[in-house]
Amino acid sequence: MAITEAKKMTTLQVKRFKPSENPTNTFLTDEKGVWAWMTTVDHKKIGIMYLVAVAFFFALAGFLAIALRTELWTPAKTFIEADTYNQLFTLHGAMMVFFVLVPSIPAALGNFILPMQLGAKDVAFPRLNLASLYIYVAGAIFTFAALASGGFDTGWTFYTPYSSDGNGAGVIWVTLGVFILGFSSILTGTNFITTIHKLRAPGITWDRLPLNIWALYATSIIQVLATPVLAITILLLSFENIMDIGIFDPALGGDPVLFQHFFWFYSHPAVYIMIVPGFGIISEVISTFSKKTVFGYWAIALSSLAIAFIGFLVWGHHMFTSGQSAVATTVFSFLTFLVGIPTGIKIFNWIATLYRGSIDMKTPMLYVFIFLFLFSIGGFTGIMLGALSVDIHLHDTYYVVAHFHYVMMGGTLIALLAGLHYWWPKMTGKMYNEKLAQISAVLIFIGFNMTFLPQFIMGAQGMPRRYYNYIDQFTPFHQTSTIGSYILGVAFLIILYYLVKSLFSGEKAPSNPWNSRGLEWQSTSPPDFHNFDHTPVVINGPYDYHKPMEEFQLGLAVSHEGHDAEHAPAEVDTTEEKA
Amino acid sequence: MANHSASHPAHVQHHFVDSDQQFDSAKLGMWVFLVNEILFFGGLFCAYIIFRAWYPELFTQAALQLDKVWGGVNTIVLIGSSLTVAMAIRSAQRNEIKGLRINLMITILLACVFLVIKYFEYEHKLHLGIAPGFFWNPAPEVTATLDHPQANIFFSIYYMMTGIHGLHVLVGIGLMIWLYIRAGKGHFSAEYYTPVEITGLYWHLVDLIWIFLFPLLYLIE
Amino acid sequence: MSAQEHHGHHIASVKMLWSVGIGLTILTVLTVVVSSLGLPSPLDILSALAIALAKAFLVATFFMALKWEHRFNAVLLIGAVVFFLLMVGVTLLDTMYRIEVVPSF
Repeated sequence: MAITEAKKMTTLQVKRFKPSENPTNTFLTDEKGVWAWMTTVDHKKIGIMYLVAVAFFFALAGFLAIALRTELWTPAKTFIEADTYNQLFTLHGAMMVFFVLVPSIPAALGNFILPMQLGAKDVAFPRLNLASLYIYVAGAIFTFAALASGGFDTGWTFYTPYSSDGNGAGVIWVTLGVFILGFSSILTGTNFITTIHKLRAPGITWDRLPLNIWALYATSIIQVLATPVLAITILLLSFENIMDIGIFDPALGGDPVLFQHFFWFYSHPAVYIMIVPGFGIISEVISTFSKKTVFGYWAIALSSLAIAFIGFLVWGHHMFTSGQSAVATTVFSFLTFLVGIPTGIKIFNWIATLYRGSIDMKTPMLYVFIFLFLFSIGGFTGIMLGALSVDIHLHDTYYVVAHFHYVMMGGTLIALLAGLHYWWPKMTGKMYNEKLAQISAVLIFIGFNMTFLPQFIMGAQGMPRRYYNYIDQFTPFHQTSTIGSYILGVAFLIILYYLVKSLFSGEKAPSNPWNSRGLEWQSTSPPDFHNFDHTPVVINGPYDYHKPMEEFQLGLAVSHEGHDAEHAPAEVDTTEEKA
Repeated sequence: MANHSASHPAHVQHHFVDSDQQFDSAKLGMWVFLVNEILFFGGLFCAYIIFRAWYPELFTQAALQLDKVWGGVNTIVLIGSSLTVAMAIRSAQRNEIKGLRINLMITILLACVFLVIKYFEYEHKLHLGIAPGFFWNPAPEVTATLDHPQANIFFSIYYMMTGIHGLHVLVGIGLMIWLYIRAGKGHFSAEYYTPVEITGLYWHLVDLIWIFLFPLLYLIE
Repeated sequence: MSAQEHHGHHIASVKMLWSVGIGLTILTVLTVVVSSLGLPSPLDILSALAIALAKAFLVATFFMALKWEHRFNAVLLIGAVVFFLLMVGVTLLDTMYRIEVVPSF
């Protein structure tokens, strides 16, 4: 970036820092007590608090999903009223999207891992990071206020005129909640972009960035570019509700389809906010458990950016039946196919990474295989839905529901589980029960497919989404689906059980249980308050498994020197290493 | 970190290596935030463009209700405030704290002038019943020249755009009062003036937005 | 600190700042005058936008000091504008080519 400045070939004095296996002073022991946690600016604690919040909302929204599936056991009413049903699926969607999927990987795991992978002490703006957590909580309070003031049943997309024709105070509250929540997302994105640009440890050049960082970087760009559009859209919608400004309301001369454009200009890229960080986790885990350099580093890194870019141009494929012009529809359909290219590049590179690796089927890797299987199905059905003529048939059916659950749950959530199991020892310093973890992973795989595969079939046969009643011929599909959702519920309870149990009686985790070459593993488990008790120096790529571990444990011999990666030498001569 | 070096100046936060890294990060962060702002207003500009493409005649008629002389004066006022903010940063860089405070004060005053003019413009329109949403109740002398079924939409967009922009001006005034007080306490110097610099960037963006709002709303006829 | 040398610490000269300020004022007057000429339809909006763009360029380059800044900050500004244009352009593909423009009430 410094164009005129010649690269200063300063020679750094480095020495090896072997992480202690018995750390006495970690971020968990450093500041104790509820107040210290609530006011902390430490990215690790904030990440963990995000994780707890996300888990809470996931449990809540998951519980709603099980209630919905139970209601669908019979073709007519099973145990809840139709209006309640409408509110429940709206709440399930809104919570899962805005409170779980969007913040899950970046704000929870990313917050914890990103500065560690960069060898930084914290994100660039720690106080904004804490603020983003509280903004998230404020958004949640608004959503609960919406429930208290009568609820909302517009579907999570808040389409006008459902959401604008005096549908009650609930819609105003929840949309304002989403508006507020957006700022939390924006702050996280801003923080990450700045941190990645400015706070890399010496030696971490752009071609030595872990792929997880590339994925989070692409995600942050989307967050920053798309979220403000959601904010203005919701502001306009709120004014539409409060004082009839008429921009979206057809009764006042406005255009409801314009709302859909604005909404999907955010919400389609938001799909990539959800899935792209998942790709980052998959790249990390696949390399660690194959003990092999990632195949096609640049292909994977740049395809994240390509997805981020193309993702902005395809939003109209949600609107094929909305009355949008034929010209736009055709263009959107064509562009949608393009997303398949970078995604396919990723899948092929991951498979190639596995090839002839020494694969270790630990729980995170198990989830990676589940991801590859489920996400590929999700991706392929997405291509089918992007095909214009097919979509006219499948639009708003269970086929769409199954598709986005395969992508969002089979993709993002499975990747989140992979990441959670991968970094759990680092985050907590404890090992979980591997056997139970594998059992629940298999249960999730079975339960998931039982829940959503029948929905593809039903959808293709014409079962519309969001319906309370259905005709008898769909009963077996719905019932299979419902049983599957119960299996999923049980599997998640097992996960909760052994993770919580590991906190209290889990085996103590070594600093690097998976023998990863990643920088975040070259610290103690759990890490020091400042992540490392030295300034790390990186001289290898993050996946150079052919090089010895000690080359990955270097740090500045003298503290505080040239933290700026731009000025760091391309190579540090390791021979001058002095212990 | 145990050996937190003594050479760390007081204004540098613990996770930065030096003052320059902190300054660069703050500025990059601000630029990323400005990207947000551009796309935030972008939504409104998009709505403007689409409705204008649908109803060109409405926009030319409705613009007649806006006084381009006062709009122009306000543009010059904002440009002046941008200039003084740039001068304030220059003063800070040269360690001239007095100059910094004077320039900030002039900027605050100019921003207030902008809002006062805006207030009178709003008041005049509300008086004629040109109000947003269901307050829309134009007086006969308005409907004489402005006869369009979607006229309310133009003014909805007008109020949203100028209203949100005005809100940004208000926030800017708040920030500059904060800077003025901190400068008085001697917080800033040639070594550390990051808040002045990034508030300046914000203020220039507010100016930039207005540079486009003015011709699009006032000068289309 | 070698303030003049380092990116982002460029100290602008008073002369330059005032010239930009005066230039912006002149352009503002110019755009009002041009709008009063009553140019035919596409020309009036094009001239207004051209002048606005020139003003925006001056503000961004000199007041916001992008000229002396890390190049990436300029990339961010341009990127934001590009994405805004994409949003408008692609939405217009729909709104301009609807078979029936918004039904009037």
